[in-house]
Amino acid sequence: MDVLDLARTQFAVTGSLHFLFVVLTLGLAPLVAIMHTRWALSGKPPHESMTRFWGQIYVTNYAVGIVTGLVMEFQFGLAWSGLSHYAGDVFGAPLAMETLVAFFLESTFLGLWIFGWGRLPKWAHLACIWLVTLTAYASAFFVMVANSFLQNPAGAVVSDGRMRLTDFGALLTNKSLVFAFPHVIGAGLFTGGMVLVGASAYRLWRRAEETDFFARSLRTGVATAAVGIFLTMGFGYAQFAGVQEGKFGAHNPAAAVPLGFMIEFGQLLALVVLLVMLPMIGILPRARWTHPILIAMTPLPFVLAILGWMAREIGRQPWMIWERLTVADALSPGLTAGMVTASLIGFAGVLGLLAIVDYVLIARMIRRGPHALDLGAGSGDETRAPALSY
Amino acid sequence: MELIWFAVFAVLLAGYFALEGFDLGVGLLLPVLGRTREARDRMVAAVAPYVLANEVWLVAVAGTMFGVYPLLEGEVLAGLYPLVVAMLLCWVLRDAGLWFRRRLDGRAWRGLWDAAIAFGSLGLSVGWGMTLYAAATGFEAPPVHPAGLMLGVVVTLLFALHGWTFLGWRTPGVFGVTRSGRALAATGLLAALPALGLLAGAMPFLLGHSAPPATLNVLSVMVLPVAPIMVGAQVWVWRTFRPGKDAVRLPSFF
Repeated sequence: MDVLDLARTQFAVTGSLHFLFVVLTLGLAPLVAIMHTRWALSGKPPHESMTRFWGQIYVTNYAVGIVTGLVMEFQFGLAWSGLSHYAGDVFGAPLAMETLVAFFLESTFLGLWIFGWGRLPKWAHLACIWLVTLTAYASAFFVMVANSFLQNPAGAVVSDGRMRLTDFGALLTNKSLVFAFPHVIGAGLFTGGMVLVGASAYRLWRRAEETDFFARSLRTGVATAAVGIFLTMGFGYAQFAGVQEGKFGAHNPAAAVPLGFMIEFGQLLALVVLLVMLPMIGILPRARWTHPILIAMTPLPFVLAILGWMAREIGRQPWMIWERLTVADALSPGLTAGMVTASLIGFAGVLGLLAIVDYVLIARMIRRGPHALDLGAGSGDETRAPALSY
Repeated sequence: MELIWFAVFAVLLAGYFALEGFDLGVGLLLPVLGRTREARDRMVAAVAPYVLANEVWLVAVAGTMFGVYPLLEGEVLAGLYPLVVAMLLCWVLRDAGLWFRRRLDGRAWRGLWDAAIAFGSLGLSVGWGMTLYAAATGFEAPPVHPAGLMLGVVVTLLFALHGWTFLGWRTPGVFGVTRSGRALAATGLLAALPALGLLAGAMPFLLGHSAPPATLNVLSVMVLPVAPIMVGAQVWVWRTFRPGKDAVRLPSFF
């Protein structure tokens, strides 16, 4: 592989790893916020238990989301300095907004939520998780604004060999953005829902004592997954109205094939979720024969999400910015194959290992169930015996 | 407008050194002061509520650089490629150590992630000294330069002092020292000095390389109204976790 292929592989690997965690964050954040709201309103131990259990899974997943995101952000400057040289005046604005406004607040409020347990007043603590959710979505929005500009450079003109921002509104109403953003949000909700379903099905299958806890979580998961896949599919098809000409043509099988798989399997999953799981929502917790199937379905949303990004990003090739700047021209000058090989091994090795460790930890948390949770521990009410069944 | 954004950039970078400085400092002191598992738990628990709010200052620095100094962003990062990659990996390891250390109970598990925190903090601190030196020479010197390494040692010592002061402020007496908030502010300023020195020297150059007015205007309209919320969120963190009778609660999530 030459430098360009290595740098592209590096971005693809870190980007894919990042999105595996982000997609679940986007789905779990509002669910945990809703659980926390119910706990704040009712004050009942079962609601507290749900908030802490799913909250701990959410923040554990978030950890790798952060570190992969850090590597992503710095890679723009490390490997693709041609992008900031040519279009930094335009592309930099949404990216600065994402980091300055959205992620800055998201991380601050997340710290307050995790460590403010039992310290912050009840409603202020609840406000934190909603602010985390809001800023996470704002973060996703600005990243999609930046990405959509690469797909369709609206709101900018080229002068003196550089791109110049002329209309910020056009960045926000980009035809590559308006349907893609809700599509991504839908995928997040679908993923979050399916993780609730899979994990709950596992606990019920193992005849865990907290039957009611996981029956409730399973139903929440099915409802969320149904809303999620409905949005994902609707806005997925809507995107075809605004797709660049020739993006998925026969000349670009590496983009067209993932797209085809995503659509085929997405439709199949939508049928299963909307026409089988949703009508059965009341009996699924007791229908033991369905549980192994539900468990086996858990990884599918993640696979589909990656296929979707492959279609969108490989479809953009050879352009970094559609019909303006090629990926080859955006590569930082002076990079050698040795440098990028070393960093690729470093990033892929470290982040890949952390991702595996993180998934093992999450699986272990699910296997242990809502007992001896770290999140919210030491907040002063540990003397109370954990509610096991209700 | 260029001046306002230079000020924002300077505050963010200096703020990162003053704030993340004590997180890294405590990480550096982990093998020194944290002889027992309980001591290490206390040290990490002391910084834990601040880390997430502190490390994002650097994310904001990078974002501001991309938005306000797009021509420099690539220059700086690509010019220091091996150094920036190593620092990123150190940062990732430090964070992973914090998130993972208490997720399992085994001795080896804790030891591994505590080592990741200490090693990551060390790499990041030394890396900052080398980066500042490289930036001060206009990226003419090779990334690994004796003077850069010297500055790395200085930054590391400053961070360690700042971390020690922080422990004395948040957990008075537990680690042999008791420090006032004023002392913490002083070591914070000290930790930020190397960055402030570089910013002062680079000011004319940075002002001359700002993004065009149209971009700065968009950034101003979008970011400046939110700035009070950002400041408010940071103040909220400091008010919530200020020292007091049960400042450090165990077990802490990190």
